[in-house]
Amino acid sequence: MSRTRHVNCVIPPYILEKLLESDDRQVRQAALDTLLTTARLRGERAVRASFAAAASANGRRTVFDCEQGRFLQLAVLARSEDGPPATDEAANRAFDALGLTRDFYQEVFQRNSIDDRGMRLDGYVHFAVKFNNAFWDGREMVFGDGDGVKFGDLTRSLDVIAHELTHGVTDFTAGFEYHNQSGALNESISDVFGTLVKQWSLKQSVEEADWLIGTEVWTPGIDADALRSMKAPGTAFDNAQFGRDPQPDRMSRFVHMPDTEEGDHGAVHYNSGIPNKAFYLTAKRIGGFAWEAAGLIWYESLKVSQADFQFQDFADTTYRKAGELFGAGSTEQSAVLAAWREVEVPISGIPTGVARARSLAVDGSDGAGREDGVAALGRQLSALSTRVAELADDVAALKRAR
Amino acid sequence: MKVTLATYGGQAAVADPRLPPRELDSDALPGNAAAELSRLVAQAVAAPQEGGGGRAADAMSYTITVEDGARSTVLTQSDAAMSLAFAALLTWLEKYFAKR
Repeated sequence: MSRTRHVNCVIPPYILEKLLESDDRQVRQAALDTLLTTARLRGERAVRASFAAAASANGRRTVFDCEQGRFLQLAVLARSEDGPPATDEAANRAFDALGLTRDFYQEVFQRNSIDDRGMRLDGYVHFAVKFNNAFWDGREMVFGDGDGVKFGDLTRSLDVIAHELTHGVTDFTAGFEYHNQSGALNESISDVFGTLVKQWSLKQSVEEADWLIGTEVWTPGIDADALRSMKAPGTAFDNAQFGRDPQPDRMSRFVHMPDTEEGDHGAVHYNSGIPNKAFYLTAKRIGGFAWEAAGLIWYESLKVSQADFQFQDFADTTYRKAGELFGAGSTEQSAVLAAWREVEVPISGIPTGVARARSLAVDGSDGAGREDGVAALGRQLSALSTRVAELADDVAALKRAR
Repeated sequence: MKVTLATYGGQAAVADPRLPPRELDSDALPGNAAAELSRLVAQAVAAPQEGGGGRAADAMSYTITVEDGARSTVLTQSDAAMSLAFAALLTWLEKYFAKR
């Protein structure tokens, strides 16, 4: 009877993975046993570390190097909060971007990391071979190097890193289900706060910002501006290799795809263009720094949204929150109203004529005399609408309490 | 044996659907490579399918279709939940297609 001897943590994972391809069955079995044992031990260490620091971690960052492997449990430490900078620039870029995103949430929204309880920020770089992607797996953020032909290193893009971290924030707030319209909202929220982190770090105004997601992702050889444009969805790229950016910018152009992996879970990366454009239009109409008013409205709305929200639900929530934060009939609330109307998601309960009049007023293209009367009516209706929504919330709360 | 690799989702979801699945015929491979591919396919088919990561945000998923005579086997896994054997086959295929 043969015995398998485990050599934990000594053999680099890429060699172990190569040994899995050996002709010798015993060698393959030994490699598999070692990988599984190492993974289990590292997993146990990670779990213990998470429990030990969960309550007071304050978003402590740790970046791991996957060394081109696909198993996070086998990744090696590249940089920690208390350690020196890494020799690997990808690890340093991920570390810095996670820190900027953490600081953005703390300073702008007083949010303590992903879960608002100081959750550790674990990032993984050099995932797989020539991996053209970055993702959030429910606990960690993972970044590939790109193939160097289509995509470059994903850690070069601050807004992509902030996008992935924000998927975590969404999981701990609204928890938007990752399919169809709620999935597109999930994607959009990550784009909104991804670009806000970039704008905040550069102190860019609404007018100065490029409103592009992933400008650094495509390689110079690809004729493309970015992965997505929030200002003009559908224009981020247009070339012979990948065709034209298919993101819609309004409901009449909504993309219908099956709720399958092949169908991008119901086109979540396509239809995010609609709420993305709504956010951009809101921020543009308000002006100044987008994170201050528009960002606050979206953040507060995210916190009270529900997992199965559709575009209409979220639009109505942003309108209500804008009224609560800045006043019924305020410039900010009118900006929200006009933005959603422009992407063809009109706010519930607001007559079309009133919405159009308030849109014109906030755009500054209406006559002052006309604005007075119509705006006053709009403010009254808006205040009434906000009050009705509050009463509905109160009734719902009473029902839950019973 | 014909092996096809289709990739879905991820940050490039809006661009990649235009790219056709990549395929190879093991008959066109050198003997060693064909044997290696057969072994990896057998291991991936035999391994339990990982689950639970299908809805991870921005994760990519992979469908490997193996057609061997009249028999067709379809394996689908995601970045967020993948067996060691599937990962070994996927890595081999990606390296092969990258060189081609």
